[in-house]
Amino acid sequence: MPEEILDPVIHATARLRVVATLAALGSGDEIAFPKLQKLLEMTAGNLSTHLRKLEDAGYVRVTKTHVGRTPATYLALTPRGRQAFEEYAANLTSLLKGAGS
Amino acid sequence: MSPSDRPGDDGPLDPAASLRVIRETQERARAANEPDCRLLYGVWGVAWLVGYLTLWTSSRTMGGQPEGWAFAVFGVLLTSAVVITAVHSIRRTAGTRGVSARAGAMYGWSWFLGFVAQGAVVSGLAQAGASPEVMALAANGIACIVVGLLYLGGAIAFDDRGLLVLGVWILVVAGGATLAGLPGTFLIMALAGGGGFLLMAAVEQARVVRRRRDLGAASPEARRA
Repeated sequence: MPEEILDPVIHATARLRVVATLAALGSGDEIAFPKLQKLLEMTAGNLSTHLRKLEDAGYVRVTKTHVGRTPATYLALTPRGRQAFEEYAANLTSLLKGAGS
Repeated sequence: MSPSDRPGDDGPLDPAASLRVIRETQERARAANEPDCRLLYGVWGVAWLVGYLTLWTSSRTMGGQPEGWAFAVFGVLLTSAVVITAVHSIRRTAGTRGVSARAGAMYGWSWFLGFVAQGAVVSGLAQAGASPEVMALAANGIACIVVGLLYLGGAIAFDDRGLLVLGVWILVVAGGATLAGLPGTFLIMALAGGGGFLLMAAVEQARVVRRRRDLGAASPEARRA
């Protein structure tokens, strides 16, 4: 199966779940790190590693801020990340159509 | 089924498994971030149905205004619905920020301000010497207009067809219930208003069931145990 057309940054279960969750948010929205971690049931270290890879690829924007005195980290897809996810999903569908029947 | 089908593992995926991961993950994300319409419509449906039926029953037996206890039951039901709605919505949006959270907050404040204004208008009518019957009709009718228009506003803000249908319906109820006069106004509010909310709750439930079934159909062999 010609799976080379699938973006390797997204095509791994853990990162796919991160990107899919962020893509479910509105394009003007961000999610706090603890909520994302709870949703995905990943350890903080594991999630941070994948987020760094996605940030390096320019797919995820990490915003560090303060809520009162507590530091808080918010995550969102960049426009490029959203586009990469949409292309990835479209490629999956066309692969399945090609493989099906 | 290979172990790598299970979300959380870091292995490669086949396209069908990837699509399934996307659907399941996004379903879960929406459930965690967006208010559950079934719960909200259900709570308001019960509050209106039981609350207004209580007012209607009391009003009919007294042959005029409902008794104090009936208003107390009505008040407790509506207050509970307000509290449940606010707590649920705030909990769901906690941990997110941005355009949607700001729109949600403005929407919440719009409800509060709408009912503050409704209260002021009704007090003003009382001061101007409105009869108890006019007061009862105006209080219900104006509240209903506030609800209907805010649902239409919500439909515009959140691009939600369900809210649009509900908004139009509640505006129809506002007119119909006021034209009916006492005590019929309470019966119309209970059955058409409360019933409308409960019908929408049922429609939302059917939508959720259908989505879950589609999700299951996409992955016949690999449901997580």
